[in-house]
Amino acid sequence: MGMLDPIKGFGVTFSTMFKKVVTEEYPEVFYPTAPRYHGRHQLNRHPDGLEKCVGCELCAWACPADAIFVEGADNTEEERYSPGERYGKNYQINYLRCIGCGLCIEACPTRSLTMLNFYELADDDRQKLIYTKEDLLAPLLPGMEAPPHPMRLGDDEQDYYVRGPELARQAGQDRQSSEVSAQ
Amino acid sequence: MADTASKTDPLTPVLTKRWLSPKSWRLATYEQLEGYTAIRKALRMTPEEIVELVKEAGLRGRGGAGFPAGVKWSFMPQNEDKPHYLVINADEGEPGTCKDVPLMMADPHSLIEGCIIASYAMRAHRCFIYVRGEALHCIRRLNSAIREAYAAGYLGKNILDSGFDLDITVHAGAGAYICGEETALLDSLEGRRGQPRLKPPFPAAAGLYAKPTTVNNVETIATVPYIINGGADWFRSMGTEKSPGPKIYSISGHVERPGQYEAPLGTTLRQLLEMAGGMKDGIPLKFWTPGGSSTPLLTAAHLDVPLDFEGAAEAGSMLGTTAVMVFNETVSVPWAVMKWTKFYEHESCGKCTPCREGTYWLAQILERLVEGRGTEEDIETMLDVCDNILGRSFCALGDGAVSPIQSGIKYFRDEFVALCEANKRELVGASA
Amino acid sequence: MTLAHQKPSETAQTEVPEGHVRLTIDGQEVIAPKGELVIRTAERMGIVIPRFCDHPLLDPAGACRQCLVEVSMGGRPMPKPQASCTITVADGMEVKTQLTSPVADKAQKGVMELLLINHPLDCPICDKGGECPLQNQAMAHGRTDSRFVDRKRTFPKPLKISTQILLDRERCVLCQRCTRFSQQIAGDPFIDLLERGAQQQIGTSETAELEKSASHTPDGTPFQSYFSGNTIQICPVGALTSAQYRFRSRPFDLVSSPSVCEHCSSGCAERTDFRRGRIMRKLAGDDPDVNEEWICDKGRFAFRYTTARDRIRKPLVRGEDGELHEASWPEAMRLAAEALLKARDGKGIGVLTGGRLTLEDAYAYQKFARVAARTNDIDFRARAHSAEELQFLAAQVAGTTPEHVSFASLEKAPIVLCVAFEPEDEAPIVFLRLRKAARKMGTRVAFVGQWTTSSVRKTSGELLACEPGGEAAALDGIAEHAKDIVEALSAEGAVILVGERAATMPGLFAAVQRLAERTGARVAWIPRRAGERGALDAGAVPTLLPGGAPVTDAGARAALEKLWRLPEGSLPAEPGRDTAGILAAAAAGELDALVVGGVDPDDLPDPRAAREALDKVGFVLSLEMRPSAVTERADVVLPIAPTAEKAGTFRNWEGRDRPFEVTLQNTGAVPDCRVLDTLAVEMDVDLFTQTPKAARADFVRAANSVTRPAATPVEAAPEAEQAKAETNGHVKLSTWRQLIDNGSLQVEEPHLAGTARPAVLRLNEATAQRHGIVPGEPATIRTERGELSFPAEIADLPDDVVWVPSRSPVGVYEALGVGHGGLVQLSAGTAAGAESAEGPAGETGGAA
Repeated sequence: MGMLDPIKGFGVTFSTMFKKVVTEEYPEVFYPTAPRYHGRHQLNRHPDGLEKCVGCELCAWACPADAIFVEGADNTEEERYSPGERYGKNYQINYLRCIGCGLCIEACPTRSLTMLNFYELADDDRQKLIYTKEDLLAPLLPGMEAPPHPMRLGDDEQDYYVRGPELARQAGQDRQSSEVSAQ
Repeated sequence: MADTASKTDPLTPVLTKRWLSPKSWRLATYEQLEGYTAIRKALRMTPEEIVELVKEAGLRGRGGAGFPAGVKWSFMPQNEDKPHYLVINADEGEPGTCKDVPLMMADPHSLIEGCIIASYAMRAHRCFIYVRGEALHCIRRLNSAIREAYAAGYLGKNILDSGFDLDITVHAGAGAYICGEETALLDSLEGRRGQPRLKPPFPAAAGLYAKPTTVNNVETIATVPYIINGGADWFRSMGTEKSPGPKIYSISGHVERPGQYEAPLGTTLRQLLEMAGGMKDGIPLKFWTPGGSSTPLLTAAHLDVPLDFEGAAEAGSMLGTTAVMVFNETVSVPWAVMKWTKFYEHESCGKCTPCREGTYWLAQILERLVEGRGTEEDIETMLDVCDNILGRSFCALGDGAVSPIQSGIKYFRDEFVALCEANKRELVGASA
Repeated sequence: MTLAHQKPSETAQTEVPEGHVRLTIDGQEVIAPKGELVIRTAERMGIVIPRFCDHPLLDPAGACRQCLVEVSMGGRPMPKPQASCTITVADGMEVKTQLTSPVADKAQKGVMELLLINHPLDCPICDKGGECPLQNQAMAHGRTDSRFVDRKRTFPKPLKISTQILLDRERCVLCQRCTRFSQQIAGDPFIDLLERGAQQQIGTSETAELEKSASHTPDGTPFQSYFSGNTIQICPVGALTSAQYRFRSRPFDLVSSPSVCEHCSSGCAERTDFRRGRIMRKLAGDDPDVNEEWICDKGRFAFRYTTARDRIRKPLVRGEDGELHEASWPEAMRLAAEALLKARDGKGIGVLTGGRLTLEDAYAYQKFARVAARTNDIDFRARAHSAEELQFLAAQVAGTTPEHVSFASLEKAPIVLCVAFEPEDEAPIVFLRLRKAARKMGTRVAFVGQWTTSSVRKTSGELLACEPGGEAAALDGIAEHAKDIVEALSAEGAVILVGERAATMPGLFAAVQRLAERTGARVAWIPRRAGERGALDAGAVPTLLPGGAPVTDAGARAALEKLWRLPEGSLPAEPGRDTAGILAAAAAGELDALVVGGVDPDDLPDPRAAREALDKVGFVLSLEMRPSAVTERADVVLPIAPTAEKAGTFRNWEGRDRPFEVTLQNTGAVPDCRVLDTLAVEMDVDLFTQTPKAARADFVRAANSVTRPAATPVEAAPEAEQAKAETNGHVKLSTWRQLIDNGSLQVEEPHLAGTARPAVLRLNEATAQRHGIVPGEPATIRTERGELSFPAEIADLPDDVVWVPSRSPVGVYEALGVGHGGLVQLSAGTAAGAESAEGPAGETGGAA
């Protein structure tokens, strides 16, 4: 060990003090993820607020980690949650099991299930990490109405699926115009 | 009835000979014109002798398939431990065909006389005439003719003191093309849904009410009295070796004098057109069907095809019911084919997948094509779908449904392609 | 293929057995019985030809055309591909399936494509998704892209064709399996094809949806069949679904286990599918000896009693306040044991068990009675019963096996005579066999009853009509009235079936035995409940030990004492009291305690007396699943496991054991035999019935250690209350339970309940006119005890006889105090306004 070796060590320390830091200042600073980052799931809604989920369980079928539980039920005229006959009555994702692979959202036939970029999925209670339908449903945007309610965009579900994008655009415009008028 | 209008050589008025007599449908007229003479002769023969005579004459079924009538009759059991039935198929529904209804209108007694002889030959004591429900006038006329025959002792118990009993019942169908198929007809006659039955068992073993039954066309049965009177050799003097006898050709469409023309089997379209006064307004022939829309259509190139069972088959078509529909140059083939296909779509009974779904699909493609919204791919798809229906369906309705399409594309593909061309230009224009 | 050409010379030497033919399928030679369908022969060889309409138990239809194959006969190819589900094998036939024939392959693919053009893309929301033959077939052989770009045929959906069955006409591939099942197997042609072509659809006569359609009738009938659930199971697509299972789960969620139906004495094989500890559905199992592939709707849909909200899951003990409170098992056991020990040493204990018990549980009950309670006061017959019946059961039924009479022997029988037995309501699978026998084998079916019921009609049966209660006389007179039936009964294989209702008719069992002896016909007893036959053989009756030896048989008792390691002479030697006797004794204070398992007082001939007895007796121990009239009066209630949560065996009416394993594991529920075993230990007695397996082993040893005595003649009971002379304007009551009614195992099944037959009062035209009753209008029957009203319906009953269902929904015994054969007053109008309604109703009746 040479005489200057201790000073050499300090040299490294000193030089590093003037370099750009590699650590992230999370949670003080919240960095955005890549746009397609597989974060928390969301159950989307039709423009009128009805749920897109039809309770088909294809997400649960696709899930390699068996993290999803779904149970379907019958829509009735009095109590309607989604267009068509069937809706997801019970929907749970267990984030202790979820590996974020995204196979579920690929399986979803109605584009109900998508993934957000939200990644803060930690807790000190295992029970809390089983997200239920209430946790996963997308928030109600302006113009949306909390189900159950009758179909507002047409007489049958074809109107939601076939004319869906157009209706969504329309609803978006309505929203914008209402916002403008509100301002 | 225009048969007397042109007295050219090939006409052989046998079945139609009384049609223009005044009140030809009355018993008196019929009896004057040697009516009910054949049964007197027949009832002195044994049933086997009659069957043998009909076999010798070579009478082939006039309903479309051309199955030898005598052979069909010989399938009936010889004993009488179960009731036997004769059922007359008068559910004339094939597009273009109108020979049975005029026959029953003009000369119902010849059918009744035929029924008596055929029933006697098959040991049947009950005969049903299943008439297409729309032909109400015809049902009335048949019924009144039967009443006359009962009154004169030609029907009922102990006919002409021969000890033979026969009752005839006229049954009105409810208007379904499929009920012209013999087993569907039997189901319909039993009061069930008119859909074809599984064969075997064949009607001769278990037909109407599961009893031995023979189903024959009106024209076939109406021919029988003439064979009894005239003999096999006389009958064979007309027509061809394998398809002997006279036949009523129903000529419709673009001809000067459409109507029923009775001519020997094997007459050509050229001859028929001559009888019918040629093409209407002289516009040239484009295509025609030899025996209704279920038979593949033919073109002007087939003018000299002999119209008998063999000749039509050789030309790639079928004789069918000899419903000759003639179309001139003004008619679009895809349009005609579309109309026919919509008929089959409407009339498919729904029992089997290929016919039910296939006709539904084909009709939509053709409609689209005719409206100019088709592509050349659609033509290929249609041919493939036709291939998937032909020979795959439960009964012959499916086969018949694809005939106009397949033959239409075969002879007139250009017209189908031309319809797509317009669409293609439009598509290209739209994308540009 | 080259092999096929070499082989014939080789295999030509193998003999073709009589009645068989030799053919080749895909180049392989095979010998098949004449008349077999090609599709079945191929299946036996492991060559699966896809199909939708074909079903082995239905007549061929040839509708779907999916199973097309290429066939040549004697080297000559047939011009068209043939449907292998309709063509039978023939000698020298050469079949090429899709595996070897491009033509067949193309044909099948073509049909597949055509089937899909009008099929909606419903797979994600369809109940059949994941187990759908059409889906599988499309995945395996279908095109990846559709060439169909035009309009699909659509229908409004779903269509309710009954409260249980929903029809989705868009998904239907029109294979006609459901309609053929309904017409051929069940005889309930309530659904059929309507319209034609692409608009062809399944429907009922009331599918009012198509108002403009020609097929619509406003006064039609829904799909009201006891067997409608089978159509869901055989539907090759998701066109028919049940309201009960709709959207509840996916095949991959489900754990399936084989099970046995607990609802009637047929003992059908079932498959129970559960998800996360809850039963989701039941399907028919395939057992050719018993239920073939069918089950009734009750067996299929009635299972939610196991998850009923009010299910008792913890022991209950009646507290100082007179209410039941939850208690721990040890505490409840201690209390029960103490009370029972006191009662045993006092005036004694009676044991009443119902019809739901397994063989093992019944065995445990009788052992508990004989060893722990030291009494023969045990009876499984929680219904009308008689001493004559017990004699008959001991002499004719106990210990018989399927070799005596079985489902198969019903098919072979030249005649089956049903006495006091309504098969469709009491044992639906027996009914299906009778119908099959009548339809396929030409078996004559005759009924001794009151009217031409649907069972009579659908088995092409003959009705030997008699007054209710006059069945015994009718049987005795059969030689005069219906000589041909006696002759037929004398032929080899003839069968007489007796229902449990016979116990209400004095002298009938004796008459049956006389007729059987006279003709040589074999007799079988078909009880209504699943556990009755097992309970009889297990010895849960006052006069018989396990294995059918009488309790009076000292040798048998000694053998059992040795087997059970009891002191000599400790088994009670006196025959015990029957259900009625036990209840009477309890009411009279001659018993100190009752142990009751699965008894519904409303089934008993005198429900009020039964409830009174339960009220009066010092101590009542109830082993139950759900609150009942018994638990209301019990001092200690011990929860026991429903069938799905325990193992066991039902012995069906044939005497065939139908063992089953636990379906839902680890629910914490314990079977009766285990509860009784522990209770007995608490009373310082060992029953060795801790588990059903142990109980069964003990039963087998016990049954083998005794000998059943030879059959003894049945003595006719003295004709009770021969009131024939003075009817005083009364009418006679005929009654039995309908399959779907208010039974305790059918709770929480609203969809099933909706398919129950409407409760009506049936009577003949003359009787109706005499009493001023108008069909469709209410009519009332009345006794001193009470009254019952139903809409009236005309049927071919004898004069002055009315028929009502026993428990739809009100119990006839409870309301009127009389049962089958009883006398009631009849009047028009509803119960409340009967008096006032009598006048005007009479006038309208007269006018009509």
